[in-house]
Amino acid sequence: CTDKFDEINTDPNQATEQQWDPNFFLPNAQNNYVNLGYDQMLYQGPMLQVLASTFTYYGNGDKYVNTQNSTSYQGAIFNRTYSTGTTLAEMIRLSKDKPQYANLYQIGRILQAMNVLRGTDTYGDIPYTQAFQAKAGTTAPKYDTQQSIYTALLKEIDEATAALDVNQAAPTGDMIYSRLSSSTAKMTAWKKFGYSLMLRTAMRLIKVDAATAKTYAEKAIAGGVFTSNDDNAYIQADANYAASGIYNVYQVTDDYRELRFAKTFIDALKSTSDPRLSAVAEVPQTGAANNANKTLSGDNTAASQLGLPNGYDLASGATDIRKSAGYPGPSPAANDKDSDAPLGKYSRPRISVYLKKNGTMMVLSYAEVEFLLAEAKVRGWNVSGTAADHYKNGIVAAMTSLIQLDASAEIKAEAAQTWAAAHPLDVTSTDASLKAINTQFWLATGTMFNFIEAWSNWRRTGYPVLTPINYPGNVTGSTIPRRMIYLSTEISTNPTSYTEAVNRLSGGDLLTSRVWWDK
Amino acid sequence: AREMHPAFGKDREISGKVTDEKGTGLAGATISIKGTTRGTNTDADGNYRITVPNDAATLVFSYIGYVKQEVAVGSRTVINIQMALGEGALQEVVVTALGIEKDTRTLGYSVTSIDASALNQARESNVINSLQGRVAGLNISPGSGGPGSSSRINLRGVSNFKGGSPLFVINGVPMDNTTRGTAGEWGGSDNGDGISNINPDDIESMTVLKGATASALYGTRATNGVILVTTKSGKNAGLSVEYNGNLQFDKVINFTDFQYVYGQGQQGVRPADATSARNSGVYSWGEKMDGAMYTQFDGKQYAYSPVKDNIQQFYQTAPTFTNTVSASGGNEKTSFRLSMSSMDASGVMRNNTVKRKTINLNVTQKVTSKLDVTLMANYIDQQDKNRPMMSDAPLNANYGITLLASSFNQLALKPGYDPITGAEMTFSDDSYKTNPWFVVNQYKNQQDRKRLISAITGKYQFTDWLYLQGRAGYDVINDGAFSITPWGTAYQALGSMNRARSQTTELNVDGLLGLNRDIAQDLNLNVAIGGNLRKNRLESVGISGSNFSIPYLYTISNTLSRSQSYGYNERQVQSGYYTAEFDYKHILSLATTGRYDVYSTLPSANRGIFAPSVSASFVFSELLKPNAMNFGKIRASYAQTSGEAFDAYLTTQYYSLGNTYNGLPQGGFSSQMPNSNLKPYRMKEFEAGFETKFFNNRLGLDVAYFNRKTEGEIVSGPLSITTGFTSRVLNLGSTKNAGVEVLLTGTPVKTRNFTWDASFNVTYVKNTIVDIDGAGNTKILTLGTYRPLNGNVAHVKGMSAAQIMAYDFKYDAAGKMIIGSDGIPVRGDLKPMGSAIPNLYGGLNNSFSYKNFSFSFLIDYKFGAKVLSATNHYSYVDGLNKATLVGRETGVVANGVVLSADGTSSTANTKNVIAQDYYRGLITNVSKLSVFNADFIKLRQVVIGYRLPSRWFSNSKVPFESVTLSAVGRNLLVLMKHTDNFDPEAGFSSNINYAGTEGAQLPSTRTFGFTLNAKFKK
Repeated sequence: CTDKFDEINTDPNQATEQQWDPNFFLPNAQNNYVNLGYDQMLYQGPMLQVLASTFTYYGNGDKYVNTQNSTSYQGAIFNRTYSTGTTLAEMIRLSKDKPQYANLYQIGRILQAMNVLRGTDTYGDIPYTQAFQAKAGTTAPKYDTQQSIYTALLKEIDEATAALDVNQAAPTGDMIYSRLSSSTAKMTAWKKFGYSLMLRTAMRLIKVDAATAKTYAEKAIAGGVFTSNDDNAYIQADANYAASGIYNVYQVTDDYRELRFAKTFIDALKSTSDPRLSAVAEVPQTGAANNANKTLSGDNTAASQLGLPNGYDLASGATDIRKSAGYPGPSPAANDKDSDAPLGKYSRPRISVYLKKNGTMMVLSYAEVEFLLAEAKVRGWNVSGTAADHYKNGIVAAMTSLIQLDASAEIKAEAAQTWAAAHPLDVTSTDASLKAINTQFWLATGTMFNFIEAWSNWRRTGYPVLTPINYPGNVTGSTIPRRMIYLSTEISTNPTSYTEAVNRLSGGDLLTSRVWWDK
Repeated sequence: AREMHPAFGKDREISGKVTDEKGTGLAGATISIKGTTRGTNTDADGNYRITVPNDAATLVFSYIGYVKQEVAVGSRTVINIQMALGEGALQEVVVTALGIEKDTRTLGYSVTSIDASALNQARESNVINSLQGRVAGLNISPGSGGPGSSSRINLRGVSNFKGGSPLFVINGVPMDNTTRGTAGEWGGSDNGDGISNINPDDIESMTVLKGATASALYGTRATNGVILVTTKSGKNAGLSVEYNGNLQFDKVINFTDFQYVYGQGQQGVRPADATSARNSGVYSWGEKMDGAMYTQFDGKQYAYSPVKDNIQQFYQTAPTFTNTVSASGGNEKTSFRLSMSSMDASGVMRNNTVKRKTINLNVTQKVTSKLDVTLMANYIDQQDKNRPMMSDAPLNANYGITLLASSFNQLALKPGYDPITGAEMTFSDDSYKTNPWFVVNQYKNQQDRKRLISAITGKYQFTDWLYLQGRAGYDVINDGAFSITPWGTAYQALGSMNRARSQTTELNVDGLLGLNRDIAQDLNLNVAIGGNLRKNRLESVGISGSNFSIPYLYTISNTLSRSQSYGYNERQVQSGYYTAEFDYKHILSLATTGRYDVYSTLPSANRGIFAPSVSASFVFSELLKPNAMNFGKIRASYAQTSGEAFDAYLTTQYYSLGNTYNGLPQGGFSSQMPNSNLKPYRMKEFEAGFETKFFNNRLGLDVAYFNRKTEGEIVSGPLSITTGFTSRVLNLGSTKNAGVEVLLTGTPVKTRNFTWDASFNVTYVKNTIVDIDGAGNTKILTLGTYRPLNGNVAHVKGMSAAQIMAYDFKYDAAGKMIIGSDGIPVRGDLKPMGSAIPNLYGGLNNSFSYKNFSFSFLIDYKFGAKVLSATNHYSYVDGLNKATLVGRETGVVANGVVLSADGTSSTANTKNVIAQDYYRGLITNVSKLSVFNADFIKLRQVVIGYRLPSRWFSNSKVPFESVTLSAVGRNLLVLMKHTDNFDPEAGFSSNINYAGTEGAQLPSTRTFGFTLNAKFKK
């Protein structure tokens, strides 16, 4: 009478491996990888001085102080790397050696490489070769050195990209290139994506292994990288679920009220009359009520824009923004029922562009690729064209791609061309060129809210030159964090491997320690 | 003498004398009228007088140490009784596993019965809490979630990794006691458990089967012990109607003892305007309070003065009114009891109510002279409104109100929202700290439950020694839930909502063939074989939505984004069992049981398991006949019980689809790694004890030693997220509990008018987590944590369960504290600080009766536990703790050393840090400072009762037969504690994973009330 027990103990609500199509994993993994929300808004955004805030939570990146949840936010990318990675690893396992999933399998390998790349860039040594193998019995994965991870990832990207077959069907679960019409177009774009990712990965190594960087950069270029904004890899969040992490950050009253563009960022745009200023920034309409209104657009004229300096608060003490030298005064109350808005005269990200339920989340852009090509050329590597042209292409691409965020952010190609022509690459020295290129890289990734990439590129090149904040009680000795602290649960769930990795870090598991490639 | 009308069934008086075995008058013997609470005692000479209602009355004569006698009155007016000494006085029958009645004196294991009177005078909205401190071995930790919240119940220690509530069996039928959710580190509300649905007025007794031998026949869920609930039933004694009314008031106790020197503000300054006031609503890092006016976050002026009574002002005095009417009666063939009860409970949180209506019916029908059929139906309709959120700050009023800055008057928070826009008025620098008055006025969190616990039992008595019993029990629970994040909430301005319905069912069908006869002179055999089929099923549907288009219209169709969920879970167990007991002259008894279970939750190869038990008892007093000793027994037993997987579907890897994303289904899988080789686990227990009674049974001692261990326990062990899973199902856990239970009972004084009964119990349990993963790789199994997240609860191999893990200071080789370059002590290792579960606990109960008055009080205590306090953590962060007064104006130079860059040399720390940064950094780095000793002794309960004189009711115009009034008080005094600013019993969850964690739960309450019991004349 226990014949039916196997049936009873089979979950009727879920599928077994036999029923499953690994394509289902792809949207989950892609969204999980790119939809970062707070995971990059609290540290990297303000750390890179793109954003600024007087609000306590943003003290993490704005002032390098610890708040109540700092530990969680520091470990967030670690968590995300392995939750995304788990999904991808299973997708790879279930699509391997199955002809109908051949392209899915290779795309899985490429995405996994990109995912692990972000993880190692954020923390340094992390588990890679032994990761995702609990079912095979490996329950305490060793942390691989970042150097060995880079070696492996470059090889992985190389093999997988080469193996992508443009004549075979594109995976059904892909969201990144779902906007392209044909399977061939999609797979062609994926191939360019693979080589563009290889370029990004290679260029990270310039400080520690320029030879390898050069080898793979040239290989990537030869393979064919992005050639226009049409190649841009991005996902639009699902509006039905208001899935955009940035949108959800802005649903929080205090975040909306106190998160502003940083003075460093606005000044950089303003000093060169960059047309992106009006595309991305606005000053709210006057008074506290209008400042709190999430549907009321502000004034985006360039002249009105003012960045909030990092490192201030609203606590009545010495670091109160209202006591700072450049404080413009509060935005006055709109009527007698209203009150002042202390931060109301500072620029915020335009709500029509960033406060979108279906906001665009950039994974890898043509503009980034052009700046990397410009740099490679400056370094004398085998790149066709001139560094100045690539620089110009990058700027134009960065400006004209804003329309991919929202139509209201459109910058016409002519305007972009004109501005770029008026602001050519400084070729007076290698350093001057690198400074210009990577400052533009920062503006491009900053306007795209791709702060983690901006952070890695800053660590790699030293540009833009940022002045650290010195706020009382900061935990970095008044320096901008150069890595994140490992996920705290690793201490208890994987103690031996964790300790080995920490012992390899000079300075320990701190925000101020440096990853291998960031000498 | 009064006029007598025996023919009309009117009251008349009986008199007589009660004598002992030698013919001497017995002072203080009890005479009661059967089926009523009326009674009297004999005077110093053994004489008594009592008024009986009619000829049909039966008088019950009792005296400790003597055989109870029942005498039908008939037409007699004088009844003299000689009492017989002896064993009979102890010949109490107790209901054991499967409803088999046994003589307590021959039991080979420990069982404790609690009479209903302990449950229904001073009420707890969750009836199980009334047992706190009363039963040796039983450790109850009530939740702090308002009326009807769940409790953590441990019998004989933490019997397994999941903590394990005992199985509740109501009139022979196992009932669901699943907790409907508690708070965790990220908040939540306590939505009550199964036992909290039961109306205490319907309970006749509760019997705690502690050891594995006692509970072995219940199988898997009995590894945590069994609590048998017997509901009241009708008697063959005509119709009697009874009313019970209870009115109680809960009032919060403010345990905080904060600093009231420095007021609201940050960095040593008071807020200069509304904006900075809003940023510092929970910070008391301002200036010395001077009474001057300052601008609060609402733009209005308030005195910069201490406000000490925010807690008392914010919470209300909460009444709970319970009314129960019952009718019972019967004749030779049929007896019944029907009761209806209504509990209307208010929480101290202003918008929180729990309304519970229960109907309980119990009918026994003698179908033929051989066949009895009993029907039990217990219907519960419970409506919970706004169960309070706890732990984390969002929508949690407790959080804000406890931690308001020292000069912040909670009245400024009213009404919590802007009347025009509906937007929450935030009062701190954190949108997630919800304005407490916004919660009161706007938040909704509702549950409804409709539940029917029913059972039908048929017993066919072939002969006086052979019977067949069949039983079907069905427990069906329909739950509904509705909760919202209101329109205007600071952290989610457009709001969201969730609606869910679920049905939980448990079906038990069992049969038992029993034989009970003397098989030889003085040798009795009591044997039964049977089988059980259990089916559990849970089906749930939920729908949630966010972003309302129309403000305050909380319907799904008004949301912009929606998602839905469906859950299903089914499991089945089939079992066969036997029990056999040989009894020689009520002196020597040997018993054995065995149970074979087949579990659907396990893979086919490993599904079945047999678990035996043996026990023996020897009443040595019968042979030795010691002088002062009336009774003496030694007993010993060994038993196994088996356990199944903690959930269905743990043996296979599944894949599932979530919501679509841009039209594409999103696939994923559980982060818990399945295990296809699971097998049942075992618990083995050895128990030994003795029980003695002295001095005419006026002193009793019951001692039990137990030693139990689980092997191959099925646990969910943590994995590093880097492995591809965050946990895995293991079959390797092992938990050990060894301990001693002592129950001392006595009647120090007994005279005709005055009786003093006392009982004291103490339990010591040594609990050890023997193994977690079998290989010793996992030494720490992390469970839950408190909201500050810098400490947690964990099972640590080799230590007691539920260790509080916290960060220590860091010391150099010379033992000096290491200070960081920021001037703040450096965080050391995460260390176990002690178990969250007490290892020594019990109670002292005293009851006194004098004529019609009774008075009782209960003191209970727990020792050996630790608590991790978020209140303490926040009080440092927010500048409320008195410890933060040191260095307020001068800054703090921590006493320790700073290491050189290469770590080889050190110098004395000289860095001066401003107080606000120092204490925040300190408490964040060193969570050990938030670990407290949770020992306590409390005056748990006082009851004063008065039975109105019976002569008042002799007038036939008075409809009552008896009326009793009681005044009750619970949680009156803390006699000893070591915790600052919070109740050592406080906690936001009854789940073992959060044992010993505290923070932002409801404050503890003190309860006062009255109970009225009236019995109507027949």
